[in-house]
Amino acid sequence: MNLTVATTRQDHRIAWLTALAITIHIAESALPSPLPGIKPGLANVVTIVALIQYGWGTAAWVALLRVLIGSLLIGTFLSPTFLLSLAGALASIAALRIASWLPGRGFGPVGYSLLAALAHMAAQFFTAYWVFIPHAGLFHLLPVLMTAALIFGVTSGMITQLALQRLRAAEVSAL
Amino acid sequence: MMTRADWIVLILTVALLPSLYMRYWGDEGPATSVRISASGQPDITLPLTGNRRFTVHGPLGDSVIEIRDGRVRFVSSPCRGQQCVHSGWLARAGELAACLPNGIMVSVLGRDRRYDSINF
Repeated sequence: MNLTVATTRQDHRIAWLTALAITIHIAESALPSPLPGIKPGLANVVTIVALIQYGWGTAAWVALLRVLIGSLLIGTFLSPTFLLSLAGALASIAALRIASWLPGRGFGPVGYSLLAALAHMAAQFFTAYWVFIPHAGLFHLLPVLMTAALIFGVTSGMITQLALQRLRAAEVSAL
Repeated sequence: MMTRADWIVLILTVALLPSLYMRYWGDEGPATSVRISASGQPDITLPLTGNRRFTVHGPLGDSVIEIRDGRVRFVSSPCRGQQCVHSGWLARAGELAACLPNGIMVSVLGRDRRYDSINF
């Protein structure tokens, strides 16, 4: 029996973007971190690019597939790390869903990225607190973690901005 | 280019962060009571008022604890390290001094005890 799966242009786009996000995710997982839970989260640049260029559906697929496949490749699938990543990804795509409903000019890359980073960090923190370390002392970390989310969220938003400019320039020159 | 919504989110975040620091890193205020725990004995909680000195019996001997001017300290303890004595006066909520060899812990609590239990 010959099974073929018909794929759409949209599927290919999601696959390419996910591959890119996973590459960044894995490269970043090799970086040392001063505190558990703090990392730049540059893979989210791809999520925001997907959101702005192709819509929320694509962004959500890319974010969730990145967590799933990234964890299989790194070897953290179903581990606490995976659960934290998944909680963060779910929260950030939920935040992006709500943010993308804003009428008018809405959010740009920096706003989306910052909101996603804050939602991601908050969800990870409360998952860590409820599931793994239900110790009130953990709250002493919260201000530091949210500061990191602010800095990295704005930074990746600016990177997203640059990436979008290049993408649009490339599209124009390809015409 | 940042849109107006971007700026609003950014400014709100920057404005709210200090309150997060104050909430979780801030001073917990002056201590109002002291809790003394000695191994094998029930904890006792005393108000941090008046001036008094008392001894607590531990496995090594008697530790002397003094309450004065809303503060509390170990005056002496029959241990080698004297860490508890060197901890000095405890006056701010959340501080504690312990003499582990003698199994005695002194901690001071504020008006609102933020954590009344810790579970694992």
